[in-house]
Amino acid sequence: MTQVKDELLKKLSDGVLEMEEDVVIESANAYLEAGYPVLDGVLHGLVDGMNRAGVLFDEEEYFVTDVLLCSDAMYEGLNILRPHLPAEEVEKEKPQGVIGVVEGDTHDIGKNLVKIMLETAGFEMHDLGRDVPLQSFVSKAKEINADLVCLSTLMTTTMGGMETVINLLKEEGIRDNMKVIVGGGPISQKYADMIGADGYSVNAVEAVKLSKSLLSLA
Amino acid sequence: MLTKKQRLFNVLEGTDVDRPPCICPGGMMNMVTEELINQRGINFTNAHHDPELMADLAETVVTSGCFENYGVPFCMTVEAEGFGAEVTYGSNSVEPHVTTYLNKSVAEWSVLPKVDHKTGRSAVVLEAIKLLKERNKSVPIVGNITGPISTASSLMEPVDFYKELRKKNEDAHAYMSKVTESLMDFMNLQIEAGADIIAISDPSGTGEILGPKLFSDFAVPYLNKLVDCASERGIPTIVHICGQMKNVYKEVNCLKSHALSFDAMVNMKDARLNLSDRCIMGNLSTYALEFGTTEKIERLTRQCLNQGVDIVAPACGLGMRSPLENIQTILRTVKEGV
Repeated sequence: MTQVKDELLKKLSDGVLEMEEDVVIESANAYLEAGYPVLDGVLHGLVDGMNRAGVLFDEEEYFVTDVLLCSDAMYEGLNILRPHLPAEEVEKEKPQGVIGVVEGDTHDIGKNLVKIMLETAGFEMHDLGRDVPLQSFVSKAKEINADLVCLSTLMTTTMGGMETVINLLKEEGIRDNMKVIVGGGPISQKYADMIGADGYSVNAVEAVKLSKSLLSLA
Repeated sequence: MLTKKQRLFNVLEGTDVDRPPCICPGGMMNMVTEELINQRGINFTNAHHDPELMADLAETVVTSGCFENYGVPFCMTVEAEGFGAEVTYGSNSVEPHVTTYLNKSVAEWSVLPKVDHKTGRSAVVLEAIKLLKERNKSVPIVGNITGPISTASSLMEPVDFYKELRKKNEDAHAYMSKVTESLMDFMNLQIEAGADIIAISDPSGTGEILGPKLFSDFAVPYLNKLVDCASERGIPTIVHICGQMKNVYKEVNCLKSHALSFDAMVNMKDARLNLSDRCIMGNLSTYALEFGTTEKIERLTRQCLNQGVDIVAPACGLGMRSPLENIQTILRTVKEGV
């Protein structure tokens, strides 16, 4: 019996890693039918596969398009498993994050990757999209009582907006309630320090490590 | 002494020059800054629609001692707008960008419209090239084309586009072919209008996003179609690719353009090692150009020269708020030599 469960978990994980949506859908359904604990399927199957994809991305074996396709497969599986999660899991409080690309910039590939990897890591991410008016970051952070605010831009012309968001959070008196992390092509640790962000990460995998360490999460 | 045009041509053709040229092509590789615009008293949003203003602004870049070339347009939205994507024209400090996409999927390739480049903003660019040609024949005119992947991913949601390169591989090729055909038409018209050199910037087709396989399948062949077409007409080409190169040097070397232009994070010594005899252009950090001191720009320019860069150029489009003094420092330092 356990052997079958492990086999299915491996199929879920491999299916995500190998971007095989059909395998994931089939395995997720089989997993449900067999009545195994749903949370295990999510964490040790789908999320495990996505984490393995993250490692390959970090090692430059996988590229952005690969990770996007892996995440498609993962979300297909989540759509099947999630409705069957026990109530206490669904209601369990997740760390809340706001993410978006600052005003004037429409490049959102990097932001999407960070969102995917943070969701994989158990964060609930509120995605404001791209070309986001700076005040919207503040309103959303306030509304959801955010633990984390992630700002992204790929353009030197728009990076100043990140500093504005941090200042707006201060004016609102909520800056210290959350961690602000920044990233994107022209951004560096030095720039993050300069504008008073809590951290900078070079890619999506690092962003997860950074967020967890800033929020002292396991 | 060589004229600006002769120097650039010589470098692109691999013959001797007195010193490397210092250029910024235009297009996605924007060379216009707020200070320049204000100096000339031009409203930037109007310059995207008015050939006279476009030519004036391109001319100012040279007369103010920034770069040794003319280049138009000043954005990378002309092609996508021609297809029907909606564009906002920004302001004096924000470049135009696409706001509404045309397609949902590459499967819609068969209904992509045929673009008439003799109307709309394409026509403005062509007219500006003609005006520049009349004004000065010793300054090289760079006509700019947005690369096939960047144009395609301006016509639909980029995330979907990237995924469909694999999920709908055949449709994606058909989509890319149609987009490339249209770009080729625009390029040919630019050449007929008087462009001396064609620069193709494909910032969305990076090795980091695509990986070596998709880069080789989708970036290289369509870029080469444009390059080959220009070469047949005796027009040299520059191809600019954003991002890190180390995973795709082999594939990049398959690009047949006369020059290859790289982003700031590319180590030009590595580039030289990996692309031994290629004409390499780059790669002054646009971050440094906007936020650094003139001393830093001087140092970085010397570093480019020392690393064997053939054409000195910014690594990307200039930030609109870059101080003019910083930009002028590049050319000044190149003229002083190593």
